[in-house]
Amino acid sequence: MANSFAQTNDDVLSRIFRLPWIMILIILGLGIFGVAVLYSATITNTQEAGLPAQHAVRLGIAFVFLFVLAMTPLGFWSAISYTLYFGALLLLVGVEFFGATGGGAQRWLDIGPIRVQPSEFMKLALLLALARFYHQQRAHGDIKFYHHLIAIVMIAAPVGLVFRQPDLGTSLMLAATGTAVMFFAGLRYWIIILGIVSVVLTAPVAYFYVLQDYQRERVLTAIDPSRDPLGAGYQIQQAEIAIGSGGYEGRGYLQGTQSQLDYIPEQHTDFIFTVIAEEFGFVGSLGLLAAWMSVFALGLIIASRSRSHFGYLAASGAVVTVAFYVFVNIGMVSGMLPVVGVPMPLISYGGTAMLTVMAAFAVICAVNLDRDRHLSVSGLF
Amino acid sequence: MKRRSDSGELDVTRRLIIAGAAGGLVAGGLLARLVNLQLMNQEEFEARALDNQISLVPGVPRRGLIYDRFGEPLATHRTSWNVYAAREDLANLEATLDRISDIVEISDERKRRLLENFRREYSFIPVSILSDLTYEQFTQLSVRRPELPGVTIEASQARSYPRGRDFAHVVGYVARANQSEIDAALDGLDPETDRARISRIQGVLKHPNMRVGRLGVERELDDWLGGTPGNYRYVRNAQGRTIQRLDDDENAPKPGRDVHLTIDADLQRAAIELFGDQTGAAVVMDVETGDILTLASNPTYDPNDFVNGISSADYSALREDERSPLYHKAYDGLYPPGSTFKMIVGGAALRAGLTTPNETVYCPGHYDFGNRRFHCWQRRGHGNVNLHEAIQKSCDVYFYEIARRLGPERIAEEAKAYGLGVSYELGMTGGAAGVVPNDNWKRGRFNEPWYDGETLNYGIGQGYLTVSPLQLAVMTSRLAIGDGSQVMPRMVGSGPIIPPSPVYGSLPGHNILDHLRSGMFAVTSETGGTALRAGDIGFEGIRMSGKTGTAQVRVISAAERATGVIDNADLPRRLRDHGLFVGFAPYDNPKYAVSVVVEHGGGSSSAYPIARDLMREAFVRNSGRAGSYEIAAVDRDGESI
Repeated sequence: MANSFAQTNDDVLSRIFRLPWIMILIILGLGIFGVAVLYSATITNTQEAGLPAQHAVRLGIAFVFLFVLAMTPLGFWSAISYTLYFGALLLLVGVEFFGATGGGAQRWLDIGPIRVQPSEFMKLALLLALARFYHQQRAHGDIKFYHHLIAIVMIAAPVGLVFRQPDLGTSLMLAATGTAVMFFAGLRYWIIILGIVSVVLTAPVAYFYVLQDYQRERVLTAIDPSRDPLGAGYQIQQAEIAIGSGGYEGRGYLQGTQSQLDYIPEQHTDFIFTVIAEEFGFVGSLGLLAAWMSVFALGLIIASRSRSHFGYLAASGAVVTVAFYVFVNIGMVSGMLPVVGVPMPLISYGGTAMLTVMAAFAVICAVNLDRDRHLSVSGLF
Repeated sequence: MKRRSDSGELDVTRRLIIAGAAGGLVAGGLLARLVNLQLMNQEEFEARALDNQISLVPGVPRRGLIYDRFGEPLATHRTSWNVYAAREDLANLEATLDRISDIVEISDERKRRLLENFRREYSFIPVSILSDLTYEQFTQLSVRRPELPGVTIEASQARSYPRGRDFAHVVGYVARANQSEIDAALDGLDPETDRARISRIQGVLKHPNMRVGRLGVERELDDWLGGTPGNYRYVRNAQGRTIQRLDDDENAPKPGRDVHLTIDADLQRAAIELFGDQTGAAVVMDVETGDILTLASNPTYDPNDFVNGISSADYSALREDERSPLYHKAYDGLYPPGSTFKMIVGGAALRAGLTTPNETVYCPGHYDFGNRRFHCWQRRGHGNVNLHEAIQKSCDVYFYEIARRLGPERIAEEAKAYGLGVSYELGMTGGAAGVVPNDNWKRGRFNEPWYDGETLNYGIGQGYLTVSPLQLAVMTSRLAIGDGSQVMPRMVGSGPIIPPSPVYGSLPGHNILDHLRSGMFAVTSETGGTALRAGDIGFEGIRMSGKTGTAQVRVISAAERATGVIDNADLPRRLRDHGLFVGFAPYDNPKYAVSVVVEHGGGSSSAYPIARDLMREAFVRNSGRAGSYEIAAVDRDGESI
C-alpha cells in the first residue's frame, strides 16, 4: 500500500481538533484529582509539604509531553520502535552489570547525572516493537505460528532481565502487555486457553522455585495480612481499614483518620488509592474506576478504528499497559494481590510511571490522529 | 462493522470486545472487593480505624499524701524524670538502648534485663528504661531526643518520705506491684465480663509509675491513698505522636486522698534520737483523746530506699541485723510487761475485795509456795508493805500473795479491760495482740492445765503474758485518766474510717484507780521509789508518775541463785533483761501517757530516762494541741473520721 503521507486536512490545527478530547479531558481530570488527593495525603507531614505542587508541575510537563508526542506521526512511532526496544534491552543488560541498587533490587542505571529506569522504558518499547513486528508479518501474509514464537522471545528477554533485578511487578506487567499484544495480533483462542491453564498449573512451581523469599512472603501476606501485623501485613491491614472505614460516602476530604494520622505507609505513592477510598468512600472509588474504564473503552474504540495494523496493536496494547497499572494497583492496595509496587497512574506521586503512562496515551492519541492512514509494509511511514 | 484495514482477516472488533469484557470482569472483581470492604464491613473497619487512633494509656492516679498532726508531710511526691520507650512503636530496643547509652550510661545488666522482658509485657505498657535522671542527664537526653524515636522523657511523681527513718515502720513505703498484688487486685473479677476493667487494672498496676502500698499506713490505707486507676484517651498518629488528649472524665483516674496522722513528727524524731544506739520502742499517747503522738521503734531504716526497689544485698543486711531494724517493735513487738503489770493485779484485788489499801503483806525477800520458793527482786526483803508501798518499791512478794488470791481468770479479765491482749486497728499493717493467759488459753496452747505456781509469776508480769509497747501505753492512759473510761488509741486523725478495736470488760472508778495512781506517784516521787529520777520531767515543774519494769529474757537457775545472780552488765547483750517504763504526766491532771521498752537494756534504769525526756519533749512541744487536720477534714467534702 502506498504511503499516504501527504493527506489533506493534516495541518497542525486540524490535528489538534481531531485529538481524542474526551479521553484527554478525563485524563486531565484524573491528574487534577490526583493533586487534590496528594494534598490530603501529605498535609499532615511537613516533610512532604511540597509534593502536591511538584506533582502538579510534573503533570503539566507530562501534558506538554503528551501533546507533543500525540502530534507525532504514527509512522515515526513505528520507525523508532525497534531502536527503542533494543536500546532498552541494552540498558537492562547494563543494569544487570552496572545498576544502582535501591530497595534491595537493581533497577536504576546512572548515566552521568541522569538516573534511568530502563524497565519502565521497556514497557512502551516492547509494545511498539511487537506491534511493528506483527504489522510487518501481517503485511507479508498470514501470521504463522512461528511468528508468535519470535514474539515470545521478544517478550521473554526483557521479562527475564527485569525479573532478575528483581522486580516482579514490572516483569509481570511486561509479560502481560506482551501477551495482550499477541492476543490482539491473532493468537488462536485455544492457545490462549492452553496458556492460561498452564500458567495456573505452573504457578505453584514458580512460587516455590522461581520466587525469592521476600516475594513469597508478599504472596502469603496478601492472602493473610494478619500473619505479619507489624511488618508487611501492617501496610495491608491499615490499607484495608482505610478503605473499609470509608464506607459509602467516605469520611470527607481531609477527614480520613487513617490518612491524616499517617497510618498507611506509602500513602502518597503506591497506596494513594486508600486515601481516595477512605475520604471519598465507595462513591469515590467507583467514580475513579468508572473514569478509568471510560478511558480504556475510548482507547479500545480508537484501536478498533485504526486502519493500520500497527496502530491497532499499539493502541490496544497501550490500553492494556495502563489498565494493568490501575487494576494491579487497586488489587494490591485492597488486599487481593501481593504488594508488588505498582502505582496508580496520574494520582500516585512519582515521575517515571507518569511518563510511561503519558507516553502510552500519546500513542493512543497518535493512532487516533492517523487512524485512516495505512503504514508501509516495513511499518515505516 | 468491518472496515478495510491492514488487519485483513483478523476479527479486530471481536478481539477488542473480548479484551474489554476481560477488563470489565477484572473491574467487576475489584468492585466486588470494594463492596465487601466499604459497604458490607464498614462498621468493623470504622471501629478498627478508631481503635488505631485512640490509644488508651493507663492513667496512674495521683497518690494521696500523708501528713503528721501539724501538717508536716510524711509521704509526699517529688518530680522525677524517667526515660520510657513505647513498647509498641519500638522496632529495635537494642539499637535504641545503644543510642541512649551513648548519652547516659545504662548498665549491661539492666540492658540484658530490659531485652529479656521486652516482649513479655503488654504492648501498651511503656518500657521503663531509666528512672530518676539527674538534671544533667535530663538535659543531655532532651537535647538529643530527636535521634531517639519512640523514646520519651516524662516527669513523674515519685514517692518520697521527707521524714525518712523516723516513720519507716508507721508510714511504711510503696513499691511496684508484684504479681500476687496484681492477682489480689483482680480477685473476684470475671475474665470474660470484666475484661476492660481487668486490663485497666493490670495496665495501671504494671505501669512503671505506679506504686502500691507495701507496708504500714501506705499499705493499710492503700485504697484511700491510691485513688482509682483509669485511662487517658489519646489520639495518636502512626508514629505514636500524640495529637490530642480526649477529655474523658468517666474513665480518667481519680486521685487518692490525703491522710493526716495524729503523730507529732518532731516528737517521733525526738523519741528515736533518745534511743541512740539502744534498741526498743516508745509510745506517747494523749490520755483523753487516745491520739498517738509517738510510735517509735529503733533502730529503723530509710523507706526511700524501697520506692525504686531496694537491692537484695541491702535488704538482706537489714533482715539479718540482730537488732531487727525492719521490725515494728512498738506495734508488733511483744514483751513480758514485768512489774509494769503490777497496778493491774493490785487494782483487780481491790475490786474483788481480796485486799484493802491498808492491808500489809510481809516480804522476807522470798515467797514459798508448795515446794517452790519464789524470790523478790530485793533479796533482803521489803518487810511489811501495803499496796502503795508494793507499787512504789515494786515488791514481788506482795504481788505473789495478791495474785495467788486472785487466780489467773480474774487477772486475765482485768488485763483485758486495760486493753492488753487486744490488737488495735490503727490504719497500718501489723499489730500484735500478745498473750493474756488463763486456764483455757493454756489448755488450748499447751494442752495442759494451769498450775497455781504460774499464777504467782503472772502477778509480777512474767510468764506467758506478753504485751506490746502500744498496749502498755493504752493501759497507762486508762490508769491515768482514772475515771474508768477505756480510752482507745487512734493514729489516723483524718482519713478513712478505721474499724473499731474491741473493748473488754470495764474498769473501776476513782475509788480504786486513785490508789494505783498514788503508788505510781510514789515510784518517781517518794523516798524509796524505784525511779525517783523520772519524777521531775524538767519542764515547768511538771511531775510524772510511773512504773518501772524488768522483763527477764533468761531463766535463772537455782544454782545461780545460790552463787549469786549474775549482774546484767556481765551478760552477753542478747541475754540481758529488757528495761521497761510506763508513766503519765502531770501526775495530778494527766495529759500524756508514755511507754518505753529498751530491749536488753539490763533493767528499768535504761528505760525511764528515755520516758522522762520524751515526756518533757511532749510538754515543751505541746504535742497534744489541736492538729491541723480538723481544718483539712472540712476541706475534703465533709469527710471526717
